[in-house]
Amino acid sequence: MHPNELSQHLTTALAPLLADKIGGSGVSGLERLSGGANNETWRLAWGETPLILRRRPFSAGSVASLEGNILGLSLVDEAAVIQLASQTAVPVPAIYGVFDEHHPIGEAFVMAFIPGESIPQRWLTEASFATARDRLAFQCGEALARIHAIDCGNLPSTIGPTTLARRFEAAQTRLHAFGDISPALQFGLNWLIDHAPEETPHVLLHGDFRTGNLLVNKAGLAGVLDWELTHQGPPGEDLGYLCANVWRFGQLEKPVGGFGHYAELIAGYESIAGWSPDLNTIRYWEIFAALSWGLVCQTMGALWQSGQGDVERAAVARRRSEAELDMLLLIDEWENG
Amino acid sequence: MTPEEASASAEISADLLLSAVKAFLVESAAHHLEGRDRFNARVAANVLGIVQREQALGPALQALDQEAAIRWLPPAKADESIAQQLSRALASRELAPDSAVFDYLKARQLLVTAINNPKYASRAVAEARWQRA
Repeated sequence: MHPNELSQHLTTALAPLLADKIGGSGVSGLERLSGGANNETWRLAWGETPLILRRRPFSAGSVASLEGNILGLSLVDEAAVIQLASQTAVPVPAIYGVFDEHHPIGEAFVMAFIPGESIPQRWLTEASFATARDRLAFQCGEALARIHAIDCGNLPSTIGPTTLARRFEAAQTRLHAFGDISPALQFGLNWLIDHAPEETPHVLLHGDFRTGNLLVNKAGLAGVLDWELTHQGPPGEDLGYLCANVWRFGQLEKPVGGFGHYAELIAGYESIAGWSPDLNTIRYWEIFAALSWGLVCQTMGALWQSGQGDVERAAVARRRSEAELDMLLLIDEWENG
Repeated sequence: MTPEEASASAEISADLLLSAVKAFLVESAAHHLEGRDRFNARVAANVLGIVQREQALGPALQALDQEAAIRWLPPAKADESIAQQLSRALASRELAPDSAVFDYLKARQLLVTAINNPKYASRAVAEARWQRA
């Protein structure tokens, strides 16, 4: 859709929703931000107020057969989860409008713009964020404990309970569907099955809680973004995911997202949850996170082969080798110290 | 080098052609593009780098897979790659994930990652760990 057309649809749809919330009478400055391999992210202004639009450029139905839940929730369900999280102390943007795939805008939601730095390469390295970096692992532990305390009874029906066995089965189904081209991922999946932790009660997981989805200001955590992979699972999964090698931006010596240490994350979590996550469990879920990343890469390749997406999707397919390497490396460290 | 000397040099290899296109994408085209297209021009240049490295390292990878096939697989099926046959043998648990299989996968992965993403941080860690062993 041309930005001018999208802009007009947004003005029409948002006018009644924003009438008594934000001053202004129309959308201006609509601009697509780069990044985001699944959903589009656009910046816009309503009067003087900056807002963010998340929009899925294809219908949910058109991809359902390809990747199941790997590309995540509908944006309607994602918005519902963000609204649940907004009732806690987790920093999330206010949601102003939600549109399903039948709306002229397409499947989308409009939310508040939270000031802060979203580009990890900046906040991970710039001196002005040093204080923020020092606090961030503890704050991430706090935020995850708060997310995990959200009542799963209030979730959209698409975010149902599952079991580890079903997760393994889904991963195996995908490896087969993608042609069994990766012996390393298969080796890793076998290992994960053989070393599975005991089932613990499931909680609401963010599902994609990583460095690239955090908004950071000088005081630390300013926003938790991108809730499209939210699902139910054991708490350690979110913690391990944040610590996965692939999300450390090269700073492997700082296992928590390239900025912090395990003890800080665990202490932050314990300060809210009242119990201390086990480090070995976190390490197990780091290996699982590598498998998940490998499957996402394969999904991107399959989408590109089906004619959806540009050269970035084709390129991401080859990043599967990061996941393969990490699975083998982490398993080697687990087995041999 | 004079034009006469230059014309006497060898054929421009596929590798050099890819380097020329990469340079065009990054040093010229990207500067005339904006937003998503500019980003994708850089992605495209990186993709050509993958092709170059696959041309250079592909034969070593094939040789490694061939050794694995001789060791662990029945006579090859024409419609399946060695990687596919090994994956399926692991999935069905016909191939046990013993230390020899693990060592092969580690050696293979160093090559695969050297092709696809040689700058990936944990590759250096894995290389130091596995080449020492």
